[in-house]
Amino acid sequence: MDFSYTDEQESFRRELRAWLEENAPDGWLEDPELPDDDAERVEFLRDWQRTLADGGWAGVHWPEEYGGRGASLIEQTIYREEMARINAPPQINLIGINLIAPTLIEVGTEAQKQRFLPKILSAEEIWCQGYSEPEAGSDVASLTTSAEPAGDGEWRIDGQKIWTSYAHVADWCFLVARTDDSGTKHEGLTAFLVEMDQDAISTEPIHQPHDDRTFNQVYFDDAVATDDRVVGEVDQGWDVVMTLSAFEHGSTSIYSIEQRYLDLLEYCRTETRNGTPLIERDRVRQRLADFDARIQAAKAAHRRNVSKQMETGTPGPEGSMDLLVSDELRHDLLNFAVNLRGPAAALWENGHNAFDDTSGYIRSYGAWIAAGTGDIQRNIIGERVLGLPKDDKSKTSHRSE
Amino acid sequence: MDARLTDEHERVQETAREFIESEGGIDLARRQIDGENVVDDLWNELADLDYTAITVPLEYDGFGEGMVYLAALLEVAGRYALPGPLPETAAVAVPLIRDLGTEDQRSRFLPSVADGDLRMSVAVYDDETEPLPGGIRMGAERRGDEGTTEFRLEGTKTLVPYAAETDVVIVAARTREGQGYDGVSLFAVETDHDAVEATRMDSLDWARPMYELSIDGLTVGEDALLGPLHGGGSALVTAMDRFSVAGTAMLVGAADRAVELSVEYGTEREQYGQPIGRFQAVKHRTADMWVDMQSARSLVYYAAWALDEDEPDAARAAAATKAFAADRLHRVFGDDIWNHGGMGFTWDHDAHIYLKQAKSWRNFLGSPEANRDRLIDARLAAERNR
Ligand SMILES: Cc1cc2nc3c(=O)[nH]c(=O)nc-3n(C[C@H](O)[C@H](O)[C@H](O)COP(=O)(O)OP(=O)(O)OC[C@H]3O[C@@H](n4cnc5c(N)ncnc54)[C@H](O)[C@@H]3O)c2cc1C
Ligand SMILES: Cc1cc2nc3c(=O)[nH]c(=O)nc-3n(C[C@H](O)[C@H](O)[C@H](O)COP(=O)(O)OP(=O)(O)OC[C@H]3O[C@@H](n4cnc5c(N)ncnc54)[C@H](O)[C@@H]3O)c2cc1C
Repeated sequence: MDFSYTDEQESFRRELRAWLEENAPDGWLEDPELPDDDAERVEFLRDWQRTLADGGWAGVHWPEEYGGRGASLIEQTIYREEMARINAPPQINLIGINLIAPTLIEVGTEAQKQRFLPKILSAEEIWCQGYSEPEAGSDVASLTTSAEPAGDGEWRIDGQKIWTSYAHVADWCFLVARTDDSGTKHEGLTAFLVEMDQDAISTEPIHQPHDDRTFNQVYFDDAVATDDRVVGEVDQGWDVVMTLSAFEHGSTSIYSIEQRYLDLLEYCRTETRNGTPLIERDRVRQRLADFDARIQAAKAAHRRNVSKQMETGTPGPEGSMDLLVSDELRHDLLNFAVNLRGPAAALWENGHNAFDDTSGYIRSYGAWIAAGTGDIQRNIIGERVLGLPKDDKSKTSHRSE
Repeated sequence: MDARLTDEHERVQETAREFIESEGGIDLARRQIDGENVVDDLWNELADLDYTAITVPLEYDGFGEGMVYLAALLEVAGRYALPGPLPETAAVAVPLIRDLGTEDQRSRFLPSVADGDLRMSVAVYDDETEPLPGGIRMGAERRGDEGTTEFRLEGTKTLVPYAAETDVVIVAARTREGQGYDGVSLFAVETDHDAVEATRMDSLDWARPMYELSIDGLTVGEDALLGPLHGGGSALVTAMDRFSVAGTAMLVGAADRAVELSVEYGTEREQYGQPIGRFQAVKHRTADMWVDMQSARSLVYYAAWALDEDEPDAARAAAATKAFAADRLHRVFGDDIWNHGGMGFTWDHDAHIYLKQAKSWRNFLGSPEANRDRLIDARLAAERNR
């Protein structure tokens, strides 16, 4: 058993760290702050991803032939640690980089890979993921958006998607539609790559509790996709959904949560109440230490999972544990951070740093839902990891299954 | 990095499991609970399997393994709440003698431990309610000159695990006035001495009995002093970290079993015309048990590894392990009782054995609250040095 990194892995870290010192956005290392204005922020993040891509640091886990580094899972872990360490700006095309591209690499055609991968990497084309519908959220396999052949190798798509993150800025949508409704709900689904710039598609941003609009309703009214935009086999879309969800389970946010915790620790060290530093209060120390222990547990568990996956090649349903633990940990931590403000907890802006806590804490409610709710993760653990009897009605329901 | 147990660790676990099963599994603990002493016979068999030699260095007829190896074994032991001072001997006493002992002390004790002829425990507390280090009060008065130095130990140690079933107890005593751990020295005290008497206490966990150890004016020579005079404190702290991690490893094994029991019952037991494990109240509770068990296990492995490698964050990792696991694993056992309904609330169902073990460990050698305090101090120090 060995929890340490090899020299080779450490040199990967040094290389990345040196690159970030040189290439992080101006002033970021001293004072990380995203532009307030929506459009400016999108541009800023596109630029940042392009910079990453030029340096070879956008899709580190992609194979080299597609512009990645073929980074091992352990190197990916180091990558996450280093990005968290500088609170690096997010990649605007994270869905493309982490979920869609790896899926295309695994099940896409060569032509699809050639056409799409480079522009995913450079953020020239931004992607969204069109799964959820008003009547099909956790139970995504019951979706009804339809795609029908319209001759000349074209498909016509009709229906409505909802909560589609980044659809308002996306150029392409990774869409799952029903192509045959004669079988069970998992049969007759097909995955399509759909160009967003068509009159037949309209997006309507949804106002969220943290006063942002990062997800949307998306309406498809005879939208077009051509045959060569089908991913995998027609009517075999559930397999593609499964492939993608494995990548969803393979990513962890525990390292950015750790960084957030260290920021909070620093805050408690320097901030005083009635003349006493917060860190000297027993109540505060106890809570911080509990977060510390939970984070260390999650990190060690992640390393055990990664080690296992290095051998088996696939992330097991244990990924549900990482999602569940991370989402609830982040939520508890940010909630606590807001409480520490004292009466200023009643304010939006409470002046800690660029990642002001109040909206982050509200956002953390969404994170618990977004990749399959905490309840669904508990179902997966109960049923798939532990083998408890399945609920008859929800037998294999969510896309995370 | 490969943060998994090695094939060898897994083989040891498998062998240990087969062996303990063949001896009756958790019935060993039940027999001990019913008042039988199963430790003597069991210990001989553990020695035959070389388990007593695991942490003994190679040059003293041992295997020279560390906490990771031991934790892997103790997980299996914990699954059966295995009686016997294995954590005390292998995780606490042996490493203390290995790290602090003179050549004479090592060759006096270690090969006998490896052979199974010598069992050891550790006596820290003088008071059942006073936390450490304040709870170390016994005085050891120094007499004589250089070369003829002697120490006179006087007082009653309490909460000494298995004192009557062990041959040597490492006793923490104060050789001079001091704050905290300062002035604490460690002595290897043989329990068969006339001046030493072990009295069984009414331990919550009957499978792992605690004793009062009265030491009535025992005079020992310099060869009983383990490590530096007045300066045994820091080694004792590390030893207690090993003890906590070892104890938690046992609880992780028990928690793994509790999850299994809940899954079995959740699958078999039907109410309202369906298996109760289909109700999400039970399913989600069981999923949470598993998550807490896996999290605690991950911390145990990390802390064990960090202790073996002398990593700078070893103490912090041990504190985190105790801080995280103590109450959460305790709850795992309680949840298993609840998942079993009325059956869970019987002597026959194993969860209460684990539950009591978890409660006995909770505050022993430092409560989770005290460990959280240490953890934060260690974290702040590490951040300052970054
Ligand atoms: C911030 C955010 C971003 C998102 N981004 C995207 C995106 O980019 N693309 C996309 O397709 N979707 C996206 N989603 C949608 C997300 O996938 C769904 O919201 C999620 O799967 C839950 O579905 P639902 O909202 O319909 O809730 P429901 O499925 O209706 O759930 C409602 C409640 O019932 C519980 N529940 C449902 N089924 C079960 C069950 N079997 N057992 C126990 N409890 C159950 C849930 O846990 C929840 O508490 C996003 C959501 C959020 C919040
Ligand atoms: C101290 C004590 C005293 C008692 N005294 C008496 C007495 O005097 N007279 C008497 O008749 N009985 C008595 N009982 C029995 C008691 O009423 C039952 O134990 C209790 O009703 C639970 O039933 P069960 O043990 O069969 O558990 P089960 O019903 O099998 O429950 C097992 C688990 O499944 C869960 N579960 C079961 N059904 C559901 C559901 N629909 N939804 C969600 N979860 C579910 C339970 O919460 C529990 O966690 C006593 C029990 C105890 C512990």
